[in-house]
Amino acid sequence: MTKAKTNSRLLIFILIVVLGILLSSLFNLQIIQGANYALIAEKNFLRIKSLPPVRGEIYDRNYLPIAVNKPSINLYISPGNIINRDSVSVFVSQQFDVKLEKIKKIIYKNRFRLYNEVLLVQDVNYLQVVNVSEKFDEYPSLEFKTENKREYAYNNHFTGYVGRISETEYEKRKERGYSINSLIGKNGLEKYYEEKLRGENGYHILQVDASGKSLKFFKHNLHKAPAHGVDMILTIDNELQNYISSIMPKDIPGAAVVMDARSGEILAYVSKPDFDQNMFIGNLSAKDWNRLMNDPNTPMLDRIIHGTYPPGSVFKTITALLGLQKGIIDKDTKLAHCDGGMQIGNRYFKCWHKHGHGKLNVVDAIKYSCDVFFYDLSLKLELEEFGRFTKQNFLTNKTGVDLPGERDGFFPTKQWYVDHYGKYVNILGQKVNLSIGQGELLVTPLEVCAHYATIASDGLWRQPHMLKRFIKDQYEEDFIYEELRLPSSREHLAIVQDALYQTVNGRYGTGTAASLPNVAVYGKTGSAENHMGKTTHAWFAGYASWENPEIAFCIFLENGGHGGSAAAPIARKIVQLYDKIRQEN
Amino acid sequence: MINLKQFNWVILLMLIVIMLLGVVAIYTASSTKTESGFEMKNYYLKQLVWILIALVALVTIQFIPGAIFDLLILPGYILANLLLVIVLFMPEINGSHRWISFSWINFQPSELAKITSILLMSKLIGKHQLSEAGILLRSFAVILPPVILILLEPDLGTSIIFFVIMFAILAVSELPLFYLLIMASPIFSIITSFSIPLFIIYILVLVFVLYRTRLANIIIGFVVAINSFIALLTPFIWRGLKEYQQNRILTFIDPARDPFGAGYHIIQSKIAIGSGGFSGKGWLLGTQKNLNFLPEHHTDFIFSVIGEEFGFLGCTFILILYFLFLIQIAKSVSDLNRNENRYAVVGFLAYLTFQLFVNIGMNIGIVPATGIPLPFISYGGSNLLINVIAMGVILKYLNERSVFV
Repeated sequence: MTKAKTNSRLLIFILIVVLGILLSSLFNLQIIQGANYALIAEKNFLRIKSLPPVRGEIYDRNYLPIAVNKPSINLYISPGNIINRDSVSVFVSQQFDVKLEKIKKIIYKNRFRLYNEVLLVQDVNYLQVVNVSEKFDEYPSLEFKTENKREYAYNNHFTGYVGRISETEYEKRKERGYSINSLIGKNGLEKYYEEKLRGENGYHILQVDASGKSLKFFKHNLHKAPAHGVDMILTIDNELQNYISSIMPKDIPGAAVVMDARSGEILAYVSKPDFDQNMFIGNLSAKDWNRLMNDPNTPMLDRIIHGTYPPGSVFKTITALLGLQKGIIDKDTKLAHCDGGMQIGNRYFKCWHKHGHGKLNVVDAIKYSCDVFFYDLSLKLELEEFGRFTKQNFLTNKTGVDLPGERDGFFPTKQWYVDHYGKYVNILGQKVNLSIGQGELLVTPLEVCAHYATIASDGLWRQPHMLKRFIKDQYEEDFIYEELRLPSSREHLAIVQDALYQTVNGRYGTGTAASLPNVAVYGKTGSAENHMGKTTHAWFAGYASWENPEIAFCIFLENGGHGGSAAAPIARKIVQLYDKIRQEN
Repeated sequence: MINLKQFNWVILLMLIVIMLLGVVAIYTASSTKTESGFEMKNYYLKQLVWILIALVALVTIQFIPGAIFDLLILPGYILANLLLVIVLFMPEINGSHRWISFSWINFQPSELAKITSILLMSKLIGKHQLSEAGILLRSFAVILPPVILILLEPDLGTSIIFFVIMFAILAVSELPLFYLLIMASPIFSIITSFSIPLFIIYILVLVFVLYRTRLANIIIGFVVAINSFIALLTPFIWRGLKEYQQNRILTFIDPARDPFGAGYHIIQSKIAIGSGGFSGKGWLLGTQKNLNFLPEHHTDFIFSVIGEEFGFLGCTFILILYFLFLIQIAKSVSDLNRNENRYAVVGFLAYLTFQLFVNIGMNIGIVPATGIPLPFISYGGSNLLINVIAMGVILKYLNERSVFV
């Protein structure tokens, strides 16, 4: 017998052994134990039940609540147990005062999820529960569960809110333990830190037969506890936040943001008008939704990072710093004579002060906010370099704040002008407008605030942020913010700092309404012309110093008038309160 | 060139029947019964297209002259290893880097590595008058590069297949059997090292067997020393592992430890097959399948669908057909005169049988869960293509055998 023949016989022998093993195992499984397994399959006794985690809570820097969990009673439906779709829909709609179409839609959409429980009505009040409990026998598909709901301590634009997961969000995240009933951060910090706040599902395996006897497929590890979400301590100071919220003008949309210049921590973040996020928890009525969406003052808009506006004169610090850096001006250089305006080419550009400022140096030009000085300076600046420098200073450039959807702002390039105004566009005139923060220039209030914080800290830029630290049991993790040295030298910054001090504290400075006897307030006013209305946007941005600069702020009022008269007094009140808080600590 | 009289039509015909049965299974596995009828996914159509492509490849291989085919083996092997390096830089899918994804095809380079390794190893050790050391060195030189790259992905299941293939080829080669015994011995040392009496019994048995093979005492001493050393080392390595690593290994041995992962799937698969009973629940009517308890029931768990809907009768029919097909290949081994061709066919046979056993074994709960599909039946283009190409090579070798007599 050849070796090859032996090989074939050996191989066939092995194959028959393998076949025998498989067939005998199948015989055991399907014939001997078949009836048993058929019963299990029919009754479907083996099931994984997921245990949702408790969402992390959000507190301010003094551990006071901002977004917390409160118990709530929710109504669930099991589509597999529905006897009559229409009658259960009508019952729920009548008892819990929810639109019939909405209930029908949820039930229809989930009609194949026979073995799931689907959230039907959120946050049912206790009396309703008592009232309907008697009639529940007729509707075996319905069930109440006590769970948590989110509650926000006050109206704001930074926490965002949670809502029920949408079908598309669910498809993307179902692998990560989300269920069709999960709540998910829809915007703000709730969205940005969704993964940390949510935690991880736990699981429990049910393996009992009809008589309640355990089937014992698995003997161990039947229970995996959920990992609850991580709590967040924010940099926000609730006292300051609520105070600013109360002193903002009632009828003018606007924004105020206060940062700790030493760390980039955001102490207050107020955008007006605001809305009650708690409306989105539970069942938001169509009326409320329409009111929010149709309000011309757009209460849902976060004006601090989602709104972009022409900065007007608060931008002049950038023009001045670039002029100093390029050596076009120094501390004492006096530029063109201001007689209420300046002739450039065939156009006369007006200064805001129609009687004129005369010849000024850079410090006085900022102090009196003379436009002509900057017009003249802009003639010697190159457009692309101007844009680059602006971006380097994080104006028209995302600050990287830990909130979703921050906008850049806009600084036009030469190409942009050619594309929009044609080949023969007069770049000179455009630069003149940009130099005083007008023209096509757009920035966010947060960018302006961070810029003034950088001036306060001698050119060290710090990433603005909302999160101070995560905490959970033993675990603590501080937010690490970015630090960056910006190109302006200390010497040049000192000149601008001096000018900002003069603006608030010097005679005839434009920002004297912000001055305080015991605190050194630095600032710059802005009154920006815009397409949105006839009145200008009022700006006031700056910082306050005790032994050293501590807080930077930016106040913005949409079509609110003049920065000096409308915005600066608000800054004064903010610094006053901060001074009080500071003394208490 | 192809010799139609000598072409093994039986094997080809059985292959096509098996693949078409696979399409039937995929058709039912990708349907879901709903209130209003059936919801279908078009996996079965894609699979049919792949079967056509694969058959074209199979026919093409028959027309490549043997000499040219021989020349292609080494470049193919090198290409497979290059792709295995590239795949490490691909994005992670389910925790490992196994797939190269183009827009229209997902491809596992380890598939190509398997057949090129079989061919290259057979070619290198098929030459006559090789020393025993020469055979061993060549085998390891071929197997280790892809095995190491695949372990980096990481994909333990697939790298084990390479060793199974190597053992099978060496078992029919001119290498004396006790070398395989020596090579396998450390595995038993690791397993028995957790119980000292068991380990002592094992070493005594080993010494006895080696003594009976009339090996030099010095070699026996050497083997015993290495085994003792490994057995002593194992507890230390075990304690050095992180808890999650230990858990992973224990789960591999006992899936019931992992009720939320693989263990749960295996039990659901057992319920599906077991509840099929003698004659099954009928085509398209499997309740376990329709409730979507099993993920991937058109790929790795396709056998559970067959078991549920066609019962013991259907399973037996498919298994017997499948084994008759494998026995046909096994029979043909003795017709091959060239060593290298015989080794390659045995390698392919081992590779197919091992995958079949591990996959069905996983479905019926007698083998730990690994991501190994059922050859020719599970849905998946690149796997099917590679397996059919391997069949093409077998048919080619059978067809060309007389040329070299």
